Amino acid sequence: MSLPAHIASASASPGTRLPTYALVGNPNCGKSTLFNALTGMKQKVGNYPGVTVEKKVGTTFSQHGQPITVIDLPGAYSLAARSPDEAVTRDVLLGRRADTQQPDRILCIIDATNLERNLYLVHQILDLGRPVIVVLNMMDLAEKAGLNIRAARLEHELGVPVIPCEAVRGKGLVELRVAMSRHDLPLSRHAWEVPAPISAAVAELQASLTRNDLKSPLIARAEALLLLTDQDSIRVAGSTPLSPQTAEILQGWKTKWEGQGTDWAAVLVNSRYDAIGRIAADVVLRAGDQGPTTSDKIDAVVTHPVWGWVTLGAVMTLLFLSIFTFAEYPMNWIDDHMASLGDWVKGAMPPGDLRDLVTDGAIAGVGGVIIFLPQILILFFFIGLLESTGYMARAAFIMDRLMSKVGLNGKSFIPLLSSYACAIPGIMATRTIEEPKDRLVTILVAPLMSCSARLPVYLLMIAALLPGDRVPTWSKVGLMLLMYMLGTVGAFAFAWLFKRTLLKGAPPLMIMELPPYRLPAVRDVAFHMFERAWIFVRRAGTVILGISIILWFLSAYPKAPDTATPTEQIAQSFAGRAGHLIEPAIRPLGFDWQIGIGLITSFAAREVFVSTMSVVFNAGSDDADTAPLRQALLAAHWPDGRRLFTPLVCLTLMVFYVFAMQCVSTVVVVRRETNSWRWPLFQIGYMTGTAWVVCFLVFQVGRALGY
Amino acid sequence: MSGSPDNPLLPLCQIPAGGLCRVRMLAGDPAFCQRVREMGFGESSFVTKVSGSSTILCQVAGTRIALSHDAAVNILVEPLTRS
Repeated sequence: MSLPAHIASASASPGTRLPTYALVGNPNCGKSTLFNALTGMKQKVGNYPGVTVEKKVGTTFSQHGQPITVIDLPGAYSLAARSPDEAVTRDVLLGRRADTQQPDRILCIIDATNLERNLYLVHQILDLGRPVIVVLNMMDLAEKAGLNIRAARLEHELGVPVIPCEAVRGKGLVELRVAMSRHDLPLSRHAWEVPAPISAAVAELQASLTRNDLKSPLIARAEALLLLTDQDSIRVAGSTPLSPQTAEILQGWKTKWEGQGTDWAAVLVNSRYDAIGRIAADVVLRAGDQGPTTSDKIDAVVTHPVWGWVTLGAVMTLLFLSIFTFAEYPMNWIDDHMASLGDWVKGAMPPGDLRDLVTDGAIAGVGGVIIFLPQILILFFFIGLLESTGYMARAAFIMDRLMSKVGLNGKSFIPLLSSYACAIPGIMATRTIEEPKDRLVTILVAPLMSCSARLPVYLLMIAALLPGDRVPTWSKVGLMLLMYMLGTVGAFAFAWLFKRTLLKGAPPLMIMELPPYRLPAVRDVAFHMFERAWIFVRRAGTVILGISIILWFLSAYPKAPDTATPTEQIAQSFAGRAGHLIEPAIRPLGFDWQIGIGLITSFAAREVFVSTMSVVFNAGSDDADTAPLRQALLAAHWPDGRRLFTPLVCLTLMVFYVFAMQCVSTVVVVRRETNSWRWPLFQIGYMTGTAWVVCFLVFQVGRALGY
Repeated sequence: MSGSPDNPLLPLCQIPAGGLCRVRMLAGDPAFCQRVREMGFGESSFVTKVSGSSTILCQVAGTRIALSHDAAVNILVEPLTRS
């Protein structure tokens, strides 16, 4: 049996410098799965300077065990960029970024079930004149869809190695590594005639790019073609601008063609598709009509005008129900062990400040937050599952009609849905939105979607409001859903307002690919879930531990006379004084100075409210044991004897956390994304102002009604 | 499949669910037209409308694409009959 050409030919000898590869492909082509399969845990994740576009660099190994650097570029449909993400991919490939070395070679990943559309980007990349390896991913799905893709034929047509692959199962990786180890990768011989009337423009621009922008002739030709088809060339920070001479030549040609009324950009795109159509006709053999695919059958229900909404509602209900039911046992386990640890330390150490610091500061503070880890894991598991199966895009499709009513489109729904997990990845996901104003509106309203850090606050308040032994689970789930809905309605209402006032603009036109349904890549979902869990645990072990210790100190000092009660002690402490300072502003909402301490500290991270309550109320308790926080809250009173945490106050507190902007990390990310302090400061102002007004109305109306 | 020279051009949103058509003209913002072409809706490409009236779902070049109503209005197509 003879080996295919790309495996049989000579590979790089040990000691030769191994090239850097860029990984490029359409969104949803399995690029990230392949990158993870090639590089494993050996990845560095950062950002391209000036833009918040994730930069992932990893190391894989050649067949001789030598390290090969792989850069994972953001998914793109075309090199004519329409979003900051795509602009970074284009700029790295064209060598326009000073911060990233131009890759020596390119790995083009193709979704084999969708050859023609994926070949469009490959076609543009082959113009760059760099060595390219094409990876035909998802060959199993293509086969199931009745497509017989002749990889050897495609290799012959394009003149570059083509490796069939199933990245999810690790199939084809050995062949890919062997191809990547070759030192003599051939350059493409794909023949594509540029339409004659524009060849003069291409030649002139190519010459200028070579002379004035110091580009190599092949890259210059590819860039010339791109400049002529780029309607609205997005330039992002870090991208080298065109030389004035080249810019002048480009403008001259565009003005000339506008005068003639000829749309050469359209001609170029269509002629590329004609060339691709000829290749695909030769390479793809289709079995007869296969009838509706599994994806078609699922979509008939999931995208149905009525059943689609029912499905979305069911998925969301299942998500929140799981958070309550499945997490109960691990949460009880953590709670019991934290309580035992606190009691053990109390028994083992002599009474004094150090013992109180460990039990009432560190253990009560960290334990109060870490208990919510199981629920956060479940939330991230579900979000990962929705993304991995392809349902997330369907949810955006269903929501598009509603989103268009507030001036956004379905694409904005994906960042908003991700913000249920955490506003930070949600805000970063807005970079796929093309229109800058729509992107900004989405960033401004994303933190209104209740994130996982608010879960501990809601759960604590629900536990105080609805005692577990007397109230069925569904009422708790209902109340939790109500909070999530309140945030979602708030986000839509503010998006509507901003699109009509501050950031006026026509509703954006949506064009979005719906990937076929796939079985979830469990390994990727688990990887992502544990990555987020680790961030949560690390934060509990560092920031929250630190804040808990500082809080304990602030609530234990200055010391009151020995005759003072614990309540008097905390009232005259530093923390108590700060709480008293803001009490006049929050008293109309039903909150006292002790809750005020929690509102101040939770600006570091919302879940810190829970640990603050643990420290404040356990420190003020006469009980020697670590009393459950819920009981401590229920025992808290105003000086006149009224209960502090009445059902109305618990509800008002939850509403406050729905609307208030209380996360310093989100503020920093918004600053980075918008490149200004103006928008994050505006966001703090409008969200916290709304929180105060809504809570005032809820509390005062509730009180007037006798609650 | 066949089309008739007398067939008037219709916006994609007016094609019934399950209907086959051929893109003939793109209207609207040049940047939008460019992206739509690159996603496979070039002049002369075949499109099957799957479902939807406000947000449209269609199949083009083997891919399922969702288009907002305002985007589908700008894609003018010739209805075809399957033969």
